[in-house]
Amino acid sequence: MRERKPQAEKYLQSKRSNHMKARLILFSVLVTGLLLTAVFAHWLCPYDPNQQNLDMALQAPSLDHLLGTDRFGRDMLSRVIMGSRTSILSALVLVGIISVAGSMAGVVCGCCGKAADTVIMGIADICLAFPGLVLALAVAAVLGGGVHNAVLALAAVSWPKYARLARSQTLAVKHSDYMAAAQLAGDTRRQLIFRHILPNIAGQILVTAMLDVGTMMMEIAALSFLGLGAKAPTAEWGSMMSEGRSMLQTYPWVVLTPGIGIFLAVALFNLLGDAVRDYLDPKTIQREQEETVE
Amino acid sequence: MSKRRGMTLFMALGLLAAAAMGCGGGQTGDGSRMQAEAGEKTLVLGDTTFNAENGEPDINPHNDNSGWACIRYGVGETLFRFTDSMETEPWLAESYEMVDELTWRITLRDGVTFTSGRAMDAEAVKECLEALVSDHARAAGDLHVDAITAEGMVVTIKTEVPVPALIHYLADPYACIFDVQAGVTEDGIVQGTGPYKAVSLITDTSLELVKNEDYWNGEPKIHGITVRTISDGDTLTMALQSGELDAAYGMPYASYPLFENDNYTFTSCATSRVFFAAMNFESRIIRDPAVREAIAMGIDKESFVETLLDGNGYPAAGAYPDSFSFGGDAVNAESYDPEGAKQILEEAGWTDTDGDGVREKNGTPLVLRWLSYPSRQELPLLAEAAQATLGEIGIRVEVNNTADHNRIRTDSSAWDIYASAMVTAPTGDPEYFFAYHCLDSSSSNDGHYHSDRLEELARELSGTFDAERRSQLAVEMQQTILDDHAYIFCSHLCMSMISKSNVVGLAAHPCDYYEITADLDIVQ
Repeated sequence: MRERKPQAEKYLQSKRSNHMKARLILFSVLVTGLLLTAVFAHWLCPYDPNQQNLDMALQAPSLDHLLGTDRFGRDMLSRVIMGSRTSILSALVLVGIISVAGSMAGVVCGCCGKAADTVIMGIADICLAFPGLVLALAVAAVLGGGVHNAVLALAAVSWPKYARLARSQTLAVKHSDYMAAAQLAGDTRRQLIFRHILPNIAGQILVTAMLDVGTMMMEIAALSFLGLGAKAPTAEWGSMMSEGRSMLQTYPWVVLTPGIGIFLAVALFNLLGDAVRDYLDPKTIQREQEETVE
Repeated sequence: MSKRRGMTLFMALGLLAAAAMGCGGGQTGDGSRMQAEAGEKTLVLGDTTFNAENGEPDINPHNDNSGWACIRYGVGETLFRFTDSMETEPWLAESYEMVDELTWRITLRDGVTFTSGRAMDAEAVKECLEALVSDHARAAGDLHVDAITAEGMVVTIKTEVPVPALIHYLADPYACIFDVQAGVTEDGIVQGTGPYKAVSLITDTSLELVKNEDYWNGEPKIHGITVRTISDGDTLTMALQSGELDAAYGMPYASYPLFENDNYTFTSCATSRVFFAAMNFESRIIRDPAVREAIAMGIDKESFVETLLDGNGYPAAGAYPDSFSFGGDAVNAESYDPEGAKQILEEAGWTDTDGDGVREKNGTPLVLRWLSYPSRQELPLLAEAAQATLGEIGIRVEVNNTADHNRIRTDSSAWDIYASAMVTAPTGDPEYFFAYHCLDSSSSNDGHYHSDRLEELARELSGTFDAERRSQLAVEMQQTILDDHAYIFCSHLCMSMISKSNVVGLAAHPCDYYEITADLDIVQ
C-alpha cells in the first residue's frame, strides 16, 4: 500500500462526496419533474387524451401533434403525458404497499418468535418459489383487468422481498446494545419496533424501494401489454404499446413514444435509486476510498 | 466500476449481435424454397382463425366449426358447392332431384375415392350424413332428416318436415363427406376426398397435409402443405415478411401497406362476414327499448369502416351484404345520430344528474359491459370506437376483450352487448343466421332475444320453397330484429389472403371457406 497523503486524500473524498451529492440532486430534480408531470398531467395535456378524432388518425408527428396521433386520432403527446400518471403513480403506490406491508411482516417475524416467523416466511417462500410475473399474471387473471387489479396482483407476489430484508435487518439490530438498554428501560414490544427497529432499518428499505420503482413500472406495463392491466381507453404506457404493436413498421411513433416514456422513467428511477444508495451507504464511500488508495 | 462497465458493454454488444442475426434474411424459415430445390414443392400457410377459440380445434367436420378447416385446407368436400355468385352447384354429387317436398334424390359422382382408399358411394355418404346428424350440434335442427337410403350411387334423403334449404345445408362445411369407417383419429383427422390428405394435426399449432395422389379432379401441384395457426396478427405479419410463410389468411388491415408491392399478391372479395353486436335481453338496462335504440344510433359505422378498417368493408344495414337480393339496403337500420340518441335517452328518463358524463335513471348508471374477443383483429377497435361515440351520448362502455368470450357469453349476467364476427350466409341462404342466432331454439341466442313475429316468420321460412318469397321473408325477419334493436350490424368485411408473388391459384371466395384447391401452385 502506498503512503497516504492526507491532503490529497481529503481533496479526493470531498470531490467524491460532491459528485455523489450532485448526482443525487440531479436525479432528484429530474424525478421530481417526472412526478410533477404525472400529478399535473391534466393541465399539461395539449388535447383531451381520450378524445377520438378518426379524421386525424395516424398523423405523423407535426407542429399540431408533436408526437403524432394514434389510430383513433388521439394526440400521442397527451396520451403519453396522461399515461405517465397511470404508470408512475401506480408503480409508486405498488412499491408503497409492498414495502410497508412486506417490512411490517418482516419485522413481526424478527420480533415475535418462531410461530409467526415460520408461518409468514413459509408463505413468503411459496411466493418466491414461482416466477414473479407468471404468478402475477395468474392472480391478475383471477382478479380481472384494470390497473387497480394489476397493482393488487403484483403486490400479492412482490412483498416477500421486503419481508425477508426487514426480517434479516431486524434480527441484526435485535441483539444490539441500544435494544437491550431500551428493554431495560421498560419499552414495550410496540415501542421497540416503532422507536428503535424501524428507524434503524428504514434506510435499507428505502434504498430497495427506490430501486424497485423502475422494476414495478415495467411489470405493470408488462401486465397491461398482455391485456391484464389498464383497460381502454385509459392511457397507460404498456397498454399503449400493446395497442400500437401492429404498427411498429408502418406508424412507428404509435408504439415508440410510450416505449420511450417507459425507458426514461425506469432509467431515471433506477439512477435515482443508485444515487440514494450511494449517498446513504457508508460502505460504498469506504470501498471507493480504498479502491482509490490502492 | 470499470469491470461493470466492461460487462455492460459486452452484454450490449451481445444483444446487438443477436438482434442483427434475427433481422438477417436467412434461409432457415423458407421451407418452400428449400424443399422445391429437392424437387418437391411445399407451401406454408399461416391462419389466424384455425384454433379452438374459433371452434376449429381440428378438421373433423362434425365437431363444432371444424368443417371450415376441413374444407378450407383441401381435405374435405361437400356434395354441393357454391359458385362465385353463391349459387349451389353439384360437387361430389352429380345431380339431384326433389321428388316431393320431403324427399330428395342425389346422384353421386363416379370415380371419387377417399384418401383412405375406399370408394365414395351412396353407402359411404349415408354413413357420413347419419353421423353428422347424430354428432353435430346444429345439423339435426337444420336438416330434419327422417331417413337416408343408399343404393349404388344414389342417396335418398327423406326429411321430417319440408326443408327448402336442404341443398344449401349440404354445401355447409359441416357436411363435408369423409370415410366414417376409417374413423376420426385422436387428434381429429378424417379421411376426405379433397386434393390434400391430413397426416398430422396439433390443435392451435399446425396441420400437415400431403398431396392426394388419387384426387378425382386434377392433380394437386403442391407436394406438402403446412397450415400454421398464428392467432396473433402481428406475428402473422412478421412471419410472412420473413419468408417463413408463403401465404396468410387473417392479416390485420394495419399491416396491408407492408405487402402492397410486387413481392406479394392480394386476393380479396366481399363476403357475408359481418361485425355485429347482439343485445343481452337478460340485462335490466338493455331491456329498456330506449337504451337499445340509442345504442343503435350511437355507433358511427361509416367512420369505423373508413378509418379503422381502412376501407376494407362497408357499413352494414342488416345481416346480409349487397350481393344478396335480401341484403344491403333491402332493410332500414338506424343511422348515426348522436343528438337523436341523446333525446331518446332524455325522454326515457336517462339523465346525467351528477354531471359525471354518465346518465342515470332511478340511481342506476347507464353503464354497458361490452364483450368481444381479440382473434378478429378489428373487434377490439370496434369496441373502442363504440366506447367513444356512446360515451358522447352519456353511455359508459366497459370493454372486455377476451379469448374466453365463448364461456362468458353463456353467462347472461356477465355482459350486456356481445360483439362478434360471423359469416351470416355461408350457405347462400338466409335461414342460417336466424336459426343460429335469433330464435328461441338457436344455439347462439345467448342474449335470449325473443320475438313472436320473428318466430312466426321463421316457421314460414322453413317451409317455403319459393326463392322470391324466401327473400321477402328474410327481409321481413331482418327488419323485425332491427326494429327491436336486438342486433346492430356494423360492417361487412372483405375476405383477403396475401401470398408471395410466386404463389398462384389461391383465390378468395365469397363464402370464405374455399382456400386450398388442386389449382394451388408455386411457380418460379
